[in-house]
Amino acid sequence: MGESESENEAPKVKLRPIVRLGMFLISHSHLLSVVCCTAGVLTLLLLPLLAKNTYISENALMPGSANPMLSSQEVSEANGLVKDLTSLDLKRMASGIESQRLIAQYMSNLGAEVSFQKFYPQSNQFHPLHFFSSPDSATIRENISCSSYGLNTVGIIRAPRGDGKEAIVLVTPYNSEKIGLGEALSLGIAYSVFSLLTRVTWLAKDIIWVVADSKYGEYAAVDAWLRDYYIPVFSGLGIQNAEMCHGLEENTIRERNMRDGFKRAGTMAAALVIKVADRSEQFEDSLSIYAEASNGQMPNLDLINIVNYLAVHRQGLRIKVEKMWSLLNCKWLKILGEILESLGHLAKNLNPQWKFGIPAADYVEGTATLTSSLYYQALGIPTGPHGAFRDYQVDAVTLEISSRVSSNNKGRQNDFLLRGGRLIEGVIRSVNNLLEKFHQSFFLYLLTSPSKFLSVGVYMITFALLVSSLPMVAASLYAHANNLDPSFEKNESNHPASAADELGITLRSWKWLYAAKKVLVVHLWGAVVLLLPYFICQIPNCTPTTSFVVWVLLSIFSLLILFWILGSPFSYVYASQPQQREWALLKSVTISAAFIGLCLMSVINFATAEIGALLMVPMCLMAHPLKLDVKSRKLRNFSRVACNLALGFIGFPPTAFLVFKGVFEGFDGISVGDFWNWLESIWAWSSATYLYIGMIHLPCWILCIHVILHPC
Amino acid sequence: MVLHCYSHFLAHSLPKELKGNLIIFCADVASAMFIRATGRNLQIAYGQSLKFLDLVKLSEKSDILPSGDIAALVYLWNPFTIVACVGLSTSPVENLAIILSLYGACRRIAPLAAFGWVMATHLSLYPVILIIPMILLLGYGPDTPPRKLFLQRKYVEVGDTPSNDRCQQGEAVDQPELPYVFSWRPVIHFLFWTSLWLVYVLVLCGVSVKQYGGLWELFKRTYGFMLTVQDLSPNMGVLWYFFAEVFDFFRNFFLIVFHGNILFMILPLAIRLKHRPFFLAFVYIVISSMLKSYPSVGDSALYLGLLGLFVNELADMKFSFFLFCGYIGVSLLSPVMHNLWIWRGTGNANFYFATAMAYACLQIILVVESVSAMLNHDRKLRKLSATKVLDGKT
Repeated sequence: MGESESENEAPKVKLRPIVRLGMFLISHSHLLSVVCCTAGVLTLLLLPLLAKNTYISENALMPGSANPMLSSQEVSEANGLVKDLTSLDLKRMASGIESQRLIAQYMSNLGAEVSFQKFYPQSNQFHPLHFFSSPDSATIRENISCSSYGLNTVGIIRAPRGDGKEAIVLVTPYNSEKIGLGEALSLGIAYSVFSLLTRVTWLAKDIIWVVADSKYGEYAAVDAWLRDYYIPVFSGLGIQNAEMCHGLEENTIRERNMRDGFKRAGTMAAALVIKVADRSEQFEDSLSIYAEASNGQMPNLDLINIVNYLAVHRQGLRIKVEKMWSLLNCKWLKILGEILESLGHLAKNLNPQWKFGIPAADYVEGTATLTSSLYYQALGIPTGPHGAFRDYQVDAVTLEISSRVSSNNKGRQNDFLLRGGRLIEGVIRSVNNLLEKFHQSFFLYLLTSPSKFLSVGVYMITFALLVSSLPMVAASLYAHANNLDPSFEKNESNHPASAADELGITLRSWKWLYAAKKVLVVHLWGAVVLLLPYFICQIPNCTPTTSFVVWVLLSIFSLLILFWILGSPFSYVYASQPQQREWALLKSVTISAAFIGLCLMSVINFATAEIGALLMVPMCLMAHPLKLDVKSRKLRNFSRVACNLALGFIGFPPTAFLVFKGVFEGFDGISVGDFWNWLESIWAWSSATYLYIGMIHLPCWILCIHVILHPC
Repeated sequence: MVLHCYSHFLAHSLPKELKGNLIIFCADVASAMFIRATGRNLQIAYGQSLKFLDLVKLSEKSDILPSGDIAALVYLWNPFTIVACVGLSTSPVENLAIILSLYGACRRIAPLAAFGWVMATHLSLYPVILIIPMILLLGYGPDTPPRKLFLQRKYVEVGDTPSNDRCQQGEAVDQPELPYVFSWRPVIHFLFWTSLWLVYVLVLCGVSVKQYGGLWELFKRTYGFMLTVQDLSPNMGVLWYFFAEVFDFFRNFFLIVFHGNILFMILPLAIRLKHRPFFLAFVYIVISSMLKSYPSVGDSALYLGLLGLFVNELADMKFSFFLFCGYIGVSLLSPVMHNLWIWRGTGNANFYFATAMAYACLQIILVVESVSAMLNHDRKLRKLSATKVLDGKT
């Protein structure tokens, strides 16, 4: 922030270069801010062009260097398991425990150590600072019902060449009450790999196979297992509850064995969640990768790279990552892509060295992938059970394999199991080669296609461009507000008579304190608004729409109360200083607060900050009192009024959400209740985005509206 | 008003604080009280010197802000103070010792000043450099405009015809020549008491640590630990990073350089600011909290509180808004960076160190700007006094 109030200095004094630079920036802040802002938006659109091809950064991984050892023998064994499981399901006699017993039987036949882990489903709890806290051992287990519990089956193979300090985790979530074919197949794939790994000699890391009971959700099961793995409860409620529940069960001794026998291997190097989609693909077998964990954290790029490499080059699977489908048919995006393509051609004609053009179709596809990547990171909700691992610094991805035709065909199913198993085997073999945990490649990146990525160094530029206009404008507003002071100008004339005034403690450079106070109060109000849904949730039988309305009313009410308690900071400021400067100072402080908040958020969750900046930066920059604009009746002013109103409308979080939802999914059937549902989901997952909306975005919007409606 | 705020504060935070440690909480409140009393003293001194320079009119016209109250409130409400208090850091106790010594010096209570200084030095070593401002404070009394001004003024008054401004001259005569005479008595007292307390503390320490290897072991484990920067776990300072990187055979050299940094600045600052010993103490505290081996937010809480004492003099400080934003930004960003590095494993040490460097830069800007604002204030007083004299002559 080159905030040089040193304009106060007498002009004759030769100023330092940095101060002169600051003054230059301030005096041209209007132009520069517009340039920066548009550059930020443009580079965002250019991002798919700038994506680099992925490469495997860690040499030790050596993917695909060995031939796959998985043979049809393991596959036929796995087929047996699949058949048994489906027949068990058909018979319907199986309560959950039957299938678990069957799997455990299969595991122990292979010579693995088998243990069970019992867990109780947890209701959603509000952890506003989940981001900062390390996962705790969740001692709050009051309202558990003993009859409803899940049972994870865990099998461990000890590595013949390892020291038991490290492990690789395979997770197959399945619903123990109703096993679908897809789930059975995923168990089959994991089983085939597992049975191979009991025999191989090269294994240096233990293998843990977690068959997660997804009766209460896949994430909950994996999370419960991880919590017991890393943060064991040695005393207190956990045991008590278990004891309490034991009274109800007949076979207590077996249960006790289960609980005491929680088996561990070493720290986890990586985790793979294997799923088989129930739907079938039209053309070829494909593999979807889900990687986003809570708060937009991603696993190390190397993990995705090896999966991608092995799937494409060894197994011939088609890789997919999530896309924003509605963008694929977008007209203007296609046109933009064609323009960029032709520009690329032109550049190539001028100088063959310049290669930045990509085909229009690729551009559209890249944009759609990038948008969805941004969206899922911004949401802060993990896209699968792999998200639980990231909280313990373990890199994990979910691999969802879908087959071409519905696998009734026996040979087809064998082939499918073989390919899936070989893929998993290859990934495990690569990870097995690792000497340290993943650290070589990127953690902060966005995907534009399975084999293309944008590193933090590239996408930060767009954000920096977008945001850099904020401090410039804040500084220039601040400097102007101070210079406009009439008494100050008198002082500046510096003749002896008025020099006496100079001593008068005008606190000239501290005038921003009033504005800062106001901004602080509004941000405090934001925190209050954040806490309100916690109480609204307690109201029984509430439709989302009524909850939302109650929330809005309570927020407005609390805003009024806050002003009433704090002696209405709006009123006496007017008395103490002329209003013209007041709004400028207020805007300056608001913009600074927005700048700090956005920078903070960009570190916590980049995607949220980027989307927030797109909405907030133009709104903050444009804000100007309506009254002043209306007074001077010029076209320019009226256009500014229109801009202000439009930006103020779109900047309000609920309207922004509804507008975007309408654009992407069509406007029919949209209600404000949707916003409440959306908010409740990010609240339940303790996403930092929720905090961002309440603590940064909403206060900023209120302050901007205040500036726009300022009575000057 | 201040009492009201205190009670407000007490009512709000007492239940929370009581869970922690009552001593630390009391230390904070006591520090605020002493800051307030010191502020009163400084304010009276400021008013007197203005009167002496015949700028009374000014001081009446625009009332002098109650700097003590402001400083005490700033100290108590500062998030850094609250964090240090809730986090059960010992820095509130160290701060109390420093404030106690400064208060004693300001009021010229030699035993109290000596006790505070000895305790502060015993607790955290770095306040040892405060002995220079304290001697100046005891010798000259609280902050005044430069002595040259008074001399000039006196010269003018003596040189004038006696018929002119007789009443004023009388006033000047009434006032003993307090502001610019170094009185040795309190200093001698102070030194005497210091040695007394020092011996007392050392004997007590010696008795209590006798079975653990005696005093020498104590010094090695405490002061030696501070001076040789053995603990390299990340903190808000910049030394841990540097000494984690530096080669072992350069280590001693750089230890000397870094600690010499504080010592280098002592003498020039003391010469330039000798007429404002309390401000000099403030500057020393900022510098030492910037360059000390294990800084904490408690140190910042202390100097930000003391900054409030000079609200009258520093009214025209530049970059105040920038500094404010910077402090907020850094204090929010640094825990996030730490989290990114330590808990999420997606960042690295440079992320956190970047905020530590930004923090150090902010402190440097704060020192530079506050010192230049203070010197500007002195210049302004001189100009005003000169015009006054000219007016009187014509």
